Amino acid sequence: MLEVRFHGRGGQGAVLASELLAHAAFLDGKWPQSFPFFGVERRGAPVTAYVRIDDRPIALRTSITVPDVVVVLETGLLRTVPVTDGLREGGLLLVNSALPPELIEVPIPVRTATVDATGIARARGLGSPTMPIVNTAMLGALARATGVVSLDAVRGSIVHVPAKPRENREAAADGFAAVRSGEGRHLPVARRAERAPPLPEGPIAAVPSSTLVTSSWRTLRPVIRLEKCTRCNFCWKYCPDDAIELDPSGFPVIREAHCKGCGICAAECPPKTIEMVLDAGARGGWGVR
Amino acid sequence: MGRQVISGNAAQAHAARLARVQVVSAYPITPQTTIVETIADFVASGELPAQYVKVESEHSALQCVLSASALGARTYTATSSQGLLLMHEVLHWAAGMRAPIVMGVVNRAVAPPWSLGSDHADTMSQRDTGWIQFYAESNQEVLDTVLLAYRLAEDPAVRLPAMVAEDAFYLSHTFEPVEIPSAGEVDRFLPPRDARAVLVPGRGLRLGSFTGPVEYVQFRRQVADAMERVPAVLRNVEREFEEITHRHHGGPLSTYRTDDADTVLVTMGTATTTARGVVDQLRAEGHRVGLAKLRVFRPFPAEELRALADSVGRMGVLDRSFTFGEHGAAATEVRGALYGAPRRPSVSSYLGGLGGRDITPGLVRKVYRSLESGGSELPTWVDLLPEEAPAHG
Ligand code: SF4
Ligand code: SF4
Repeated sequence: MLEVRFHGRGGQGAVLASELLAHAAFLDGKWPQSFPFFGVERRGAPVTAYVRIDDRPIALRTSITVPDVVVVLETGLLRTVPVTDGLREGGLLLVNSALPPELIEVPIPVRTATVDATGIARARGLGSPTMPIVNTAMLGALARATGVVSLDAVRGSIVHVPAKPRENREAAADGFAAVRSGEGRHLPVARRAERAPPLPEGPIAAVPSSTLVTSSWRTLRPVIRLEKCTRCNFCWKYCPDDAIELDPSGFPVIREAHCKGCGICAAECPPKTIEMVLDAGARGGWGVR
Repeated sequence: MGRQVISGNAAQAHAARLARVQVVSAYPITPQTTIVETIADFVASGELPAQYVKVESEHSALQCVLSASALGARTYTATSSQGLLLMHEVLHWAAGMRAPIVMGVVNRAVAPPWSLGSDHADTMSQRDTGWIQFYAESNQEVLDTVLLAYRLAEDPAVRLPAMVAEDAFYLSHTFEPVEIPSAGEVDRFLPPRDARAVLVPGRGLRLGSFTGPVEYVQFRRQVADAMERVPAVLRNVEREFEEITHRHHGGPLSTYRTDDADTVLVTMGTATTTARGVVDQLRAEGHRVGLAKLRVFRPFPAEELRALADSVGRMGVLDRSFTFGEHGAAATEVRGALYGAPRRPSVSSYLGGLGGRDITPGLVRKVYRSLESGGSELPTWVDLLPEEAPAHG
């Protein structure tokens, strides 16, 4: 049995990638099992998805803690999520990056492969420029780097993609052709035993939600033209998650780090003085560094 | 349609389509949403000529299919967690009105704290509403059980609603190969609903109206009797299903390697799959262990458990929920069923996998090890971690 773990962010297609890999393995005559782990189902939030592939029905229904292959859809996750946790000896880390494998920092010595899936997705017009959908390019690279599925099967699985099947098939072939294998740059980190965090009596959070840095979830951001603002406070009232505060004279101020870009404030503002603008490159873009 | 790679939620939707349900009403809730989205697609494309009624809450969704069911329609709804809790009042109505509704439930933890993870507390807290309860282990079992549930629920000897539960994510969002039967096969197994004794527009009938205490007792007893007839009907229905599809999921209590076992663990849902793998490993190491899956929780398979207990020394019950009693929900039932049995093994209660925590092979091994060294009188929380330091709220 072979176990693959995908790490991505909501909106990048990590979950669909796991489903496509399952379909592809099935086309190759294997018995697949794929499933996602959902924390927060929102654009930009870290997402994990799992795939097992075997020759017979799989007697396991748990998440994958000792993967043979780890696929990372965005390099930023290498710093924030312990992606290599449990990776088996002799396993493979596949990263979406334009850099050669030798420049990828990894906490354990591990065989590392890279592919510029973001570049491929942009070139093939998959997703938006701010959020390219990189999953099919990554699957092509995975087919080449691991041999767990054939490129034909990956291309065959793409009938399950909701849009642009031809471009996605081409992206898979591009990923297959472009993947580079090597060793990551080993930067050891200390591990600690698993313990529950100290908890208060009852599920109460220690900080208000406005302090959470959730701005990475958005693709649009609100801009207020204060000249037309009547200080009605509608935006403050309607923002579903405390991302607007009022300054001493009663004008609204967006908490940039917290706003998720839902656009409700803009829709509710009576004089229509809030505009949602593309938040291009606000945090260095997606998957590029 | 043959074998396809689909999710547990798609398995629910395909089963509803194959059952030719006539009225569907549901309210979306993660991780159930893709069930009703898929059904909505089937209705929109004309593959399923049903009425899809959009409502503003789960309470209304169940009320809607209850009304349609009272008029003789075959109905389907689906929900999860908080949505199921919101249905609670109507769940009692559906059973008391003898409406053979079939509902898919994705087992998800009950808040607070907010969680999307797998946990049986939602359905366990509905165990006394008069619904038949199935717990599935694979996507194939989900699809087949929904079809079985219609035959069983609509049987004139039963006429009770049934819920088919699947673990959040471990099934709902897991893609794996599933044999999708053809419409012809399902039509042979599941003919249109026999809609006798239901409301007829234009005729002055009332359902569920006021009664005095005498009639109340008689009606409650009718529901109890109907529930008691479930095992016999299920046996026949499963046999017929097997003749057509060549699949049988093992009755209400499905056992694995229990024949010469001295230690048996009772599980529900997807924990069973992982536990089966562990049983194979432990057997290979010389341990005489077995496994029993509670596939049906209501009516509780007490007979089958007593038969199993006759040859077993120690039993453990792994509950994927916490309920407020001395033992886990299923463990309490098992202990109750065995109290009057001629031979009584020890029964230990284990709680694990709450809120979507993984029930890993290591965890199941730990449970068997605990059982083999005598088990324990009080419930054991198998995956509780030591806390870092005391906190002050
Ligand atoms: S876009 Fe949404 S989250 Fe951001 S400030 Fe406006 S209402 Fe709040
Ligand atoms: S809703 Fe518009 S007008 Fe009202 S306070 Fe907000 S920005 Fe100003």
